[in-house]
Amino acid sequence: MTVRVIDVRERVMARNDEIAATVRQRLETEGVLALNLVSSPGAGKTTLLERTLDALGGEMAIAVVTGDVQTQNDADRIARHTPSLVQAVVTGGACHLDASQVDRALEAIDLTRTDLLFIENVGNLVCPAAWDLGERAKVVLFSVTEGEDKPLKYPRMFREARYAVMTKIDLLPHLSFDLARAIRAMRDVNPELELFTTSGTTGQGMESWLAFLRREVAGASTARGALRG
Amino acid sequence: MHEMSIALEVCRIAEARLARDKLDRLVGVGVVVGDEAGIEPANLQFCLDVLLTHPPFHGATAKIARCTGDTLRVDYLELDE
Repeated sequence: MTVRVIDVRERVMARNDEIAATVRQRLETEGVLALNLVSSPGAGKTTLLERTLDALGGEMAIAVVTGDVQTQNDADRIARHTPSLVQAVVTGGACHLDASQVDRALEAIDLTRTDLLFIENVGNLVCPAAWDLGERAKVVLFSVTEGEDKPLKYPRMFREARYAVMTKIDLLPHLSFDLARAIRAMRDVNPELELFTTSGTTGQGMESWLAFLRREVAGASTARGALRG
Repeated sequence: MHEMSIALEVCRIAEARLARDKLDRLVGVGVVVGDEAGIEPANLQFCLDVLLTHPPFHGATAKIARCTGDTLRVDYLELDE
């Protein structure tokens, strides 16, 4: 048998990334700030969203796309905190959202009436790091009930993220969690990470997170004006 | 954990190339997987072995090469001349 070799050299993620680029363009044109929330299961993504919607729902239009392997429980929880659309994506076993799922979910959302879009990814610190969804940035949540070395164990996720939110910090007095060590681990992996420390239960630290969102949404809105001339 | 969806995309890329260039008798698919690609090579190999038994692949063999970084690409196709 004579074998002929043909060069292909095509990135496996190329098609996903093309769709993600289209999604990003749409969101930027409409001036929508899109944040992709990623974390291990149970880190507090849904609770952070509930508190954020309670605080900001009266001053800006927030839409949410939630991804879960099964059930739309998170979407139902979040929907109780906002009159805006919450779009559930049940991945049916897949461990992450991909750009085509977000693209389809956005068909049900009026982007012209949306200021801020949260994508609540499937709880998983490995796979979602590899998939561009067209978001402005990934926000990685890291709860104090996890190990301090999580960023070292899952470096790609912490490297891909631009922002990190430490959650459940009201539990610190009851745990042996070394917050300084955890922050050092994050900085070792990604020195540029902008960090927030929050508690959904007490509200501690939420003001910094909310101020950040207000600032970024205002920036996205200004950019919309510029893009539309 | 998402090796099957990656394997399906590898097959889609291979099939598209075969169709575009009007090629057949595929015997091998070369894939490069970086150590930070979030892919378990043994799982990907298993998924590709299953998929490549079906038409239009005629039982082609998946050949996975490792590298550093987050590279994940279909590198080459091998055809029986």
